[in-house]
Amino acid sequence: MSDLKLLFVDDEEELVSALVERLEIRGVDAVGVTSGDQALEQLREREFDAVIMDVKMPGLGGLEALRTISRRYPEVKVILLTGHGSAEDSEIGRRLGAVAYLQKPVDLEDLLATVRQAVRPREEKASHGG
Amino acid sequence: MGDDPRRRSGREGIVYFGAVGAGLSHELSNVFNIINELAGLQQDIVAAAAQGGAAGLARVTDLAARIKAQVVRGEEINRSLHRLSHAVDEPDGSFDVGETLVLFGSLAARTARLAEVAFESRPPKTPMAHRGDPFALLLVLHACLRAAIAAAASERRIEVLAEEGPDGARVVVCSADPLTDLTSDAAIAEMLEFGCAALAVAPRLERAPGGGDLIVLNLGPESTEPRSSG
Repeated sequence: MSDLKLLFVDDEEELVSALVERLEIRGVDAVGVTSGDQALEQLREREFDAVIMDVKMPGLGGLEALRTISRRYPEVKVILLTGHGSAEDSEIGRRLGAVAYLQKPVDLEDLLATVRQAVRPREEKASHGG
Repeated sequence: MGDDPRRRSGREGIVYFGAVGAGLSHELSNVFNIINELAGLQQDIVAAAAQGGAAGLARVTDLAARIKAQVVRGEEINRSLHRLSHAVDEPDGSFDVGETLVLFGSLAARTARLAEVAFESRPPKTPMAHRGDPFALLLVLHACLRAAIAAAASERRIEVLAEEGPDGARVVVCSADPLTDLTSDAAIAEMLEFGCAALAVAPRLERAPGGGDLIVLNLGPESTEPRSSG
């Protein structure tokens, strides 16, 4: 069992549903939503280790949501996903605090490895009482 | 050479073609990504069954249906791309305005969804033949949609319909929010100007009876039998 708490955000409902099911099979506590606004709502209600978020969404897009998440929840790691990523978006994402910017489709095991790597420093800090 | 209207008109068309093509490509990528995850989920379930877990035949069957639904969606996107590509074939032929509106509806869906506007394309119930350039009509409708999206405020509803007017076929773009000016955005204005020149129409801005504004395009008298666009 994993103790990871992940929030997955993408406007493609079926993609969210499939990925959340796959994460749950791996014992990950995963919640899926379909907009940046819903992501902020979830973050207000409960704690997550990381947010995996699409860049291009109607309404509050991934980069705008990232800006708010970085400001309000600096401890939450954000990984951006994109269908057709640009170097410019990647640079903006990193400047706004994203720990990774990945191109879809992403192998689920690679995605989880990226999440664990991003979350680990905080876990190690907590286990050392820091 | 740079001021040659035909060249500039062609450039506007390529810009539109590129923008719509990129959007459809993005939609197709979404379909592939979903199929990829659904196939992965199926593998996960089968792997769990191999280790003695309960596979759940119903769940596997449901996954196959979900994958098939995405294939159908992908085929529809591909069909739209195919029809768009052939819309440039005959700039002076006879085409069915209704078919072009159906095509425009599918091409514009993503633009409208990203802009968070409710969008509907309502073709006429019977064939409506017109002689001219169907691609130019798509270009003009795209410019009108972008103008309406730029003006979208509290209502955020846009409709495109075709009807028989006193001077023949006409296409109407209805915005539930007021449209102030169709020329305030240079890119939209150019697209509209060159598309309208190719179609030989002049867009007219009117108040809608129930609120909001209309962009009316009088295409002129009906021609002979419609030519299938796809």
